[in-house]
Amino acid sequence: MQTNVQLDSVVKRARGYWFMDGFTEIAAGIFFILLAGTLLLQGNVFQASNPEHVLSVVGIISLVKLFGFLVIVLALWWLKDHFTYPRTGFVRGNRLTTAQVLMLLRNVILFLLLPIFGLLVVSALLATIGGVLSSLPVWFPIGVGTIWAVLCILAGGWTGVARFRVLGILFLLAGIAVGIWQWTVGLSVLPVDIQPALNQPAVQEVINRSLNSLGLLVLISGLPLVLSGFVTFLRYRKANPAPYMEES
Amino acid sequence: MSPSVQNLSGLDRVIHEPARLMLVALLSAVESADFLYLLKESDLTKGNLSVHLSKLEEAGYVEVEKTFRGKMPHTEYCLTPKGRTAFDQYRKSLSSVLDGKGK
Repeated sequence: MQTNVQLDSVVKRARGYWFMDGFTEIAAGIFFILLAGTLLLQGNVFQASNPEHVLSVVGIISLVKLFGFLVIVLALWWLKDHFTYPRTGFVRGNRLTTAQVLMLLRNVILFLLLPIFGLLVVSALLATIGGVLSSLPVWFPIGVGTIWAVLCILAGGWTGVARFRVLGILFLLAGIAVGIWQWTVGLSVLPVDIQPALNQPAVQEVINRSLNSLGLLVLISGLPLVLSGFVTFLRYRKANPAPYMEES
Repeated sequence: MSPSVQNLSGLDRVIHEPARLMLVALLSAVESADFLYLLKESDLTKGNLSVHLSKLEEAGYVEVEKTFRGKMPHTEYCLTPKGRTAFDQYRKSLSSVLDGKGK
């Protein structure tokens, strides 16, 4: 069985090769920080009274997010091509089989059903829609932090990258911390008759607080990603200081 | 001699060699990889690696694809379906031998 265990570690190492230079974590961290900035900005912009102004700013923010994502993906691609592959070689990831895609789809659907289940549990506990909505700034970051933590820990198990498990625990703690902070600030008291309009101050406050708490969670999660990626990059560069050269 | 120990003689000798086993295990986790990746991960010398890859290619377990990345020639190696099946079979056989021995 020892041989199979060693084979597993070789296979996991190959799976985790994409993350061995730290670039992906740095890129993901930068994207998280960018996203946090836009979320925090959105949270504050929603306080504006003019709906047209809000919509135009939200549109610009969406464009910035899309553009930022594309730039980060292109930068990652370029860095891999010019820095990583000349040092430690090129690897093309495994294509998924139809059976694997179906299994993945099933898991994603089940996973997406989890928050709905959570929402139903919270609804049952709080009894009213108003109660669910007013506590949104508390349970939303906790839920998102938990989902990220599970994904990160699963990724750590799949690739054998131990730091992903640490990052997963950090995401979970960050979600809980932001939720507790929002709880200690106090929940908004919503009117019984909630209208889907922007001009109900209590509803607006809940939306602002939810966006701000999510923004804060994304920011807190982005910083350790950048740090972890940077430390990984330094280690990788130390181990592979120059591109591989043919021995003469 | 127990049947599980007799299975040892049925192990695929092409894969059973440690260096080739490592190469097949590495290639099993990816679609394809280049020579430099296999060299770095396996810690073999260039000559040794070439010899082992040739043997895997001769057995029909590994396929070589020569392409260009920009202007540079680029050689990628991937496991063939036959190679994947052989690797899976090898792991199963080895597990059954080791499990049988443990009982």
